[in-house]
Amino acid sequence: MNKAAKIKNCTLGELMIYQIALSIEDGTLAFHGFGSPLVQLALHLAKCNHAPNLVLVAGATYGINPTPVFLTPTTNDFAMNRGAECHLSIDELFDLAASGRLGRMFLSGLQIDRWGNMNVTRLGNDDRLTLKLPGGGGGCNLSCDAGHITIWTAAHRTHADEKGRRRYRLVNHCDFVTSVGHRTAEGLPRASMSYSGNGPDCIVTDLCIFGFNAEGHAELRSVYPDTSIELVRESTEFEFPVADNLLTAALPEPEMIEFIRQLDPLKIHECELSQDDRVRTFELNEA
Amino acid sequence: MYTQADKRCSITQLVAHIHSGDCLAIGGGLSWREPMAALRELIRQNIKDLKLVGSAHGIDVDLLCGAGSVAASAESYVGFEQDFGMAINYRRACETSVVKVEDNCCYTLVQQLRAAIQGLPFMPIRSVQGTDFLKLHPEFKTMICPFTGEQLVLVPALKPDVTLIHAHYADQHGNLYIEGPPVADILFAKASKKVIATVEALISHQELARKGVTIPYFYVTALCEVPYGAHPTSCYPRYAYDREHTKHYYQAAKNGNDNFRDNYLKPYVYGCKDHASYLNLIGGQTRLARLEQWNDGIDQWMLLYE
Repeated sequence: MNKAAKIKNCTLGELMIYQIALSIEDGTLAFHGFGSPLVQLALHLAKCNHAPNLVLVAGATYGINPTPVFLTPTTNDFAMNRGAECHLSIDELFDLAASGRLGRMFLSGLQIDRWGNMNVTRLGNDDRLTLKLPGGGGGCNLSCDAGHITIWTAAHRTHADEKGRRRYRLVNHCDFVTSVGHRTAEGLPRASMSYSGNGPDCIVTDLCIFGFNAEGHAELRSVYPDTSIELVRESTEFEFPVADNLLTAALPEPEMIEFIRQLDPLKIHECELSQDDRVRTFELNEA
Repeated sequence: MYTQADKRCSITQLVAHIHSGDCLAIGGGLSWREPMAALRELIRQNIKDLKLVGSAHGIDVDLLCGAGSVAASAESYVGFEQDFGMAINYRRACETSVVKVEDNCCYTLVQQLRAAIQGLPFMPIRSVQGTDFLKLHPEFKTMICPFTGEQLVLVPALKPDVTLIHAHYADQHGNLYIEGPPVADILFAKASKKVIATVEALISHQELARKGVTIPYFYVTALCEVPYGAHPTSCYPRYAYDREHTKHYYQAAKNGNDNFRDNYLKPYVYGCKDHASYLNLIGGQTRLARLEQWNDGIDQWMLLYE
């Protein structure tokens, strides 16, 4: 009996990795950036399953199709780059995006609005900065240039404080727009800009998965076995439409879970999850 | 053009090429090949009011912010990724307006450096419009493309006063060899007025030529041999990232400015008269040998990060 056959549960992290992986098309060129272990694992999972022809560009090292020794705590590490077939430079990667050849990119934000605009630069208004965030790397450029964007966040769930206030991740308004979605804060459509990319097509969170409707608005497409529309509403500052055929997101196969566990023995991806979410598990369906 | 036959100098002389108020580009990226020994020397020399430009950085920029050396930051990212999270000193300096926030994005930076490299006043990009970076950078302009009628963003040439790099090898003429990702170092070197470098080892020109020249000598102003000069960031294949030291650094930063000064800057920067005393303080040969053992097998490598 192999190890995978004994796997009866998956964790939230593994579910999110699988769902991010499902957004990746075979044969496309995709880049995982840095500080993004869930995405890094998703790209390798996709390449080993439904997307063998994926041109996988590792963030930070710009290595193509590496087979990491193990997932490392920081991204620009030789362990992440083992066996890379060839390498790009920083300018070449961004040129590929600017010329429309980067098929998919993965972006996150401390604030994400209904159109998929995101903020990773600063909280506070123009006059008063209340929290300096790390910054977006190349996310601003890539949100305009990459063919498609997968948005992810593992901090969708909010908790009310004693006065009932919540600090939302999915917000009405971004204090600063670091990367662009389908409409500007003023409602101007993406098509009015000369971008080469099509914008975000999903938001994978710790509670659910949104797609984007024809207006470019986030629309709830899937919940998880332990979440509901009500729970998602409670943690989302903006109102959102719900897809007619709302689904419960599929869980990864045991072999995929085993693959993730092998590639991430230090459980680096758990750094993205809250303490509670690290022990959140789902029973695999007995098929 | 820097054509002198011998570019070697002491680290003190090397860093003295940076002046207070300069626009400084720091090589490397995240936890990889940051010129840390030179940055510690920069702090000891009390060089201040720097404007930093770069892509994705971490402890290098955070250390300078913690030491009060920075007036403005146009980096695209400053943080410790999923490992330790936000860069505490950098955050504090930005939030108290000690450091002016002029965040940039990677491709914007690349295009600005390219304009400088090509002797052009600007380069166009499609991206950035529709974001708030236009507010942070009033120097960016928009224009209607005369060929396609599309609106484009024009970003001006960026010519840093100094680029500071840590490379693996150099010959004494100043040819540099970098193994692994050069990040933005080559672009920085070609766009800057001066390039100064610390290197793991000086080798003969023949040996360097066999490895390949990453940055030709005439861009390079001065250089200094500083083994382990990237510590606590990595310089593979020689040594891995010192996560343990970085954790110690992070804890010191987390407990406030004064604590950082007393428990990090004083012992590891001001209290070390030179790089050798720093290496001794972080654990000497035993610690360095441990960081070199990443190559002894996967288990040894993983142990460094547990």
